[in-house]
Amino acid sequence: MNRLILKYGYPITFVILAILAWTVYRIVSAGGSGLIGFVVVAVVVWGLGTFVFLYLWPTFTYSAYKRAIVQHGLGDGPVPVNTLYATPHLSSPAASNASLLATGTDDVLYVGGLLDLSTGPQVLHVPDMAGRYYSVQFTDPSDGTNFAYIGKRVTGTEAGEYLISGPGWKGTVPQGMAQIAAPTHAVLVVGRVLVESDSDLPTAYGLAQQIQFTPLSH
Amino acid sequence: MTNILTTLSVSHVAQAIIVGVVLAFLTAQVIMNAVVKAMTTTVNGWSTTVKAGQPGNGILLRAAFARTLPAVNVVQEAAYWTTTKDSAGQTLRGQHEYVLQFPAGQLPPNDAFWSLTMTDVVGYMVKNPIDRYSVGSRSGLAPNADGSIDIYIQRAAPAGHESNWLPAPAGNFKLMLRAYLPGAAILDGTYRVPPVKRVR
Repeated sequence: MNRLILKYGYPITFVILAILAWTVYRIVSAGGSGLIGFVVVAVVVWGLGTFVFLYLWPTFTYSAYKRAIVQHGLGDGPVPVNTLYATPHLSSPAASNASLLATGTDDVLYVGGLLDLSTGPQVLHVPDMAGRYYSVQFTDPSDGTNFAYIGKRVTGTEAGEYLISGPGWKGTVPQGMAQIAAPTHAVLVVGRVLVESDSDLPTAYGLAQQIQFTPLSH
Repeated sequence: MTNILTTLSVSHVAQAIIVGVVLAFLTAQVIMNAVVKAMTTTVNGWSTTVKAGQPGNGILLRAAFARTLPAVNVVQEAAYWTTTKDSAGQTLRGQHEYVLQFPAGQLPPNDAFWSLTMTDVVGYMVKNPIDRYSVGSRSGLAPNADGSIDIYIQRAAPAGHESNWLPAPAGNFKLMLRAYLPGAAILDGTYRVPPVKRVR
């Protein structure tokens, strides 16, 4: 939808303004009675509506992401909730037109998925990355805030397990696990694993596939 | 259906609501564009923003970044710059040849990697004969005698400088520079990406 608006912004604006002009013209040419009421209602809705659109815009955007991940996936069929999908190839001219995560980078393999924490916490497993750059980004799909990261910058590159819990969860964090308390039950997860060179691709893909969730067992 | 149409054609309230919602939608778009513009700094033709995805952003910033940079990294994880202009402010085009020169010691400071990626103006990669879509810290760029590094951005291979060639498409294009785990000079804003200079 964003792309459509960007592409056809001027014609859409023109058509809408033309309809507005026609509406006002009809009211005025019908004697002008009710014009004040019309303007008052329109202005109030305009003001409130602007706020509502801005407030809900991240939700609009990210619900499209959520739908796309769960229904269409990231190149290889739908990605079930609470699982992660690793892209096997770097972005390329052929792949970039089709993929949701095509951002024109051929440095990293992407890992993506959607969490639903309403049924309980999830445990994120990451393998030993042996110094390799990687990150796992946790994004609140209601406002686009990246509320937590796991990866080389924040937690280092050793193997580890991390407990991702939803709001209000009161259980005990298992020993040896760090807890990430998510602000919402729905969480968008985006992972990035550096590919050093063409010959490194299989190794990087193998590591990316090992970034995975399991439910907390008790 | 007929009832709805009848109501719409006679009820000024219903019409006013429609008008208000449409105006609100357009106003929200204008505001988001203005916020993105205000949050973007451009130096030497390279544009960047540091607020995307950060905790604590207000309604305006959240909306603006959801619109333009959804799910993008926070700047502490990765810094991004884009440009579609050369040092003279002219649009980057495949029919010209450009050089991006990093003076000695002036590559983007980072703790992971940096790369310079070529796409069309929308952001899609365009096929080229050597299947190279980026150059960077891992691509074996050859330095000049004084330690500076020239990146040749053009359609035809630069004779003798193939290792430093970033192939350009036929049409207009966009360059994106990334620095993952950016260094302090990037985060405090003192690092400046050099301009893309047209040479032919």
